[in-house]
Amino acid sequence: MIYLDSAATTLEKPGAVPRASAWAMTHLASPGRGGHAPGMRAAELMYQLREQAGRMFHVNDPEQVVLTSNATHGLNIAIRSLVGPGGTAVISGYEHNAVTRPLYAIPGVKVKEAAGPLFDPEGVYAAFEREVTSDVDAVICNHVSNVFGFIQPVGRIAQLCKERGVPLIVDASQSAGMLSVDMENWGAAFIAMPGHKGLYGPQGTGLLLCGGQVQPLLYGGTGSLSAQQEMPDFLPDRLEAGTHNVCGAAGLLEGMKFVARTGAGRIHRHERALAGRMMDALERCSGVTVFRGGDSQSGLCSMIVDGLDCEEAGEMLAKRGIAVRSGLHCAPLAHRTAGTVETGTIRFSFSAFNHPDQVDQAAAAVRELARTAKK
Amino acid sequence: MVYYLIICRSLTYAQRTAQVLERVGIPGWVQRSPKLISKEGCGYCVRIPERRLTDALTVLRREGMSPKQVFLQTAEGEYSEVRS
Repeated sequence: MIYLDSAATTLEKPGAVPRASAWAMTHLASPGRGGHAPGMRAAELMYQLREQAGRMFHVNDPEQVVLTSNATHGLNIAIRSLVGPGGTAVISGYEHNAVTRPLYAIPGVKVKEAAGPLFDPEGVYAAFEREVTSDVDAVICNHVSNVFGFIQPVGRIAQLCKERGVPLIVDASQSAGMLSVDMENWGAAFIAMPGHKGLYGPQGTGLLLCGGQVQPLLYGGTGSLSAQQEMPDFLPDRLEAGTHNVCGAAGLLEGMKFVARTGAGRIHRHERALAGRMMDALERCSGVTVFRGGDSQSGLCSMIVDGLDCEEAGEMLAKRGIAVRSGLHCAPLAHRTAGTVETGTIRFSFSAFNHPDQVDQAAAAVRELARTAKK
Repeated sequence: MVYYLIICRSLTYAQRTAQVLERVGIPGWVQRSPKLISKEGCGYCVRIPERRLTDALTVLRREGMSPKQVFLQTAEGEYSEVRS
């Protein structure tokens, strides 16, 4: 099988990742729940993970790094911390349901879309300039669109938010481990990211970097201040009720070490080169529409085969041993903004472990599909 | 042996405290806070040798870190709070 769905989950992991998770299962207990060796080893691992994240994403204090189940979990915490009933949020036109659904669930919330044209960072920035006013409770923006790989101008949006005194939540799901994600420089209130994509950790892991006031989403035991019924008012305990996913954390730490050793920039360049190769091949193919964005596109490729339903195309590619993601990618807003909500797209996304020959085989399979669709 | 126990608000804070101290050569062990002195329930502290308390508090102050409380643990296992 050729796996080209890394924007959903990176499937091939560095060998140390599954080894660490398996080792943790039988050697590490619960951090913060005892003074015995397996508990303290688990605590040491969690601290190493927080420190590693601090180094990678420029967070000074390991206490500000919270382990979550995924980016969605982190985004829910961030949104619930900043946007209350009747509140106002500004979001980009490329947000995932992980942002839009939590907002929709808040009674009376007003959501303003700062939607700019696809692959037009200036247009996106101008839209944020129009919509971000001092009465807004939070600005929420993904760094990279999970559908098109559009790199949004998050650095400039962060500066705008600082100037206008509005807290910023960044969804770094498609950029962590590939692009520079900089908590200190952006001054974000929150940055949420999954562990199982560009950080090469196991599914069920994620990180929330916290720079602002937080409200818990889950309430329960934290191993601290247990005589009181209120949740602790300090991080990370305030947001980490219940037993940690220590096995996941052990794998995630190894995944992050892999990214640090290899270099996020190098991984990004590799993935962009593969996406570029794919798009070069597909653009030569009649009956195929490729969404290409030059410098403002990360290492993934979204496309449509004329006359062929994208889900059918995905199925056909799966039968040929090529794993891709088709449809709306849990991001109907992004498709509405780009004008592809009726058709959806077929997405090819890459990881550090993909090779050019895999891209060539996938492109050949798409060419064949396009030929068949025309008949 | 006599030790000082630097009481911390959380396990992570205790780990950070121990790390800061170790960087300047002060050995610190993260451990559970004794129930007798941990009135708010479960918690963690950093145990340091008797002679290093002044240095430790100076370093922590320099790093902007504030211990919740400090206790002296006697050889008999009794605790008394150290007030500055």
